[in-house]
Amino acid sequence: MAVATLPHGAAAAHGDHGEVDQLYVETRALRLQGFLLFLVSDCVLFSSFIFAYLYMRNSGQGWPPAGINHLDVAFAAVNSVVLFGSGATMHYALENWKHNNFGKYAFFMIATIILGAMFLAGQAYEYTNLYFKEHVSWAGSGIFGAGFFTLTGMHGFHVTVGVIYLTVLFLQSVHGVYTKDKYFGLTAGTLYWHFVDVIWVALFSIFYLI
Amino acid sequence: MDISNIERIIAIAGGIIVAIVSAIALKNDWKTPGLDNQIFKLMLALLFIGAVIALLAGAHVLGNFPAAKGA
Repeated sequence: MAVATLPHGAAAAHGDHGEVDQLYVETRALRLQGFLLFLVSDCVLFSSFIFAYLYMRNSGQGWPPAGINHLDVAFAAVNSVVLFGSGATMHYALENWKHNNFGKYAFFMIATIILGAMFLAGQAYEYTNLYFKEHVSWAGSGIFGAGFFTLTGMHGFHVTVGVIYLTVLFLQSVHGVYTKDKYFGLTAGTLYWHFVDVIWVALFSIFYLI
Repeated sequence: MDISNIERIIAIAGGIIVAIVSAIALKNDWKTPGLDNQIFKLMLALLFIGAVIALLAGAHVLGNFPAAKGA
């Protein structure tokens, strides 16, 4: 697998495009499978926390617990649309890269990064509201606070990592690390970002809708 | 118009846009081969569902709403 880490520029400098292309094709499937395994393991992590939260929630007396108001569904719906919108822009960023349209790729990639950052700002605003106005905290509000802040915090951490990851991918693509035929990093970034979106579908449903 | 109604309108409009865009992307990618594209299709379908859920939450069809004052 050491071959998979060969920088494209270094290979081009040595004039061995054919060999590297062959190696890229041979190792791409392996890298894809490895990345999918990583996403599956992350899915297991989220599932464990989600099922633990649902189990504890259903063993209590009514929901949300006394003294805690319902969450702001309208604001969360807007924040969700922002995140889902970023999934759509990421998809079109990759499509435009595949079709060699760098201008549109850059536009959609930057839009994705901005929307991701907007989601994080919205989450920070919601946390602040909950903590200072509703007096809901991670440690002081029982299962509700612990479950809400642990799961949404874990998701927020993934979004933060995703925003950094996409920024790095964008800078790499600007500096010519990827080509029209070799762009596994962008594929992996798109998969990761879609995964983060899909996890939010589950979290939004369990915390705000049921 | 209070802030909650503005948020609801944004959620509904945004939900419709994202649902349409993800449905079009899914339709365009429907026949693409390869493992990564199959995953993308699954993710786009879930994205579509998420957008519809957010839209319905904005429209107050779904959601856990605060009890009316005095109720």
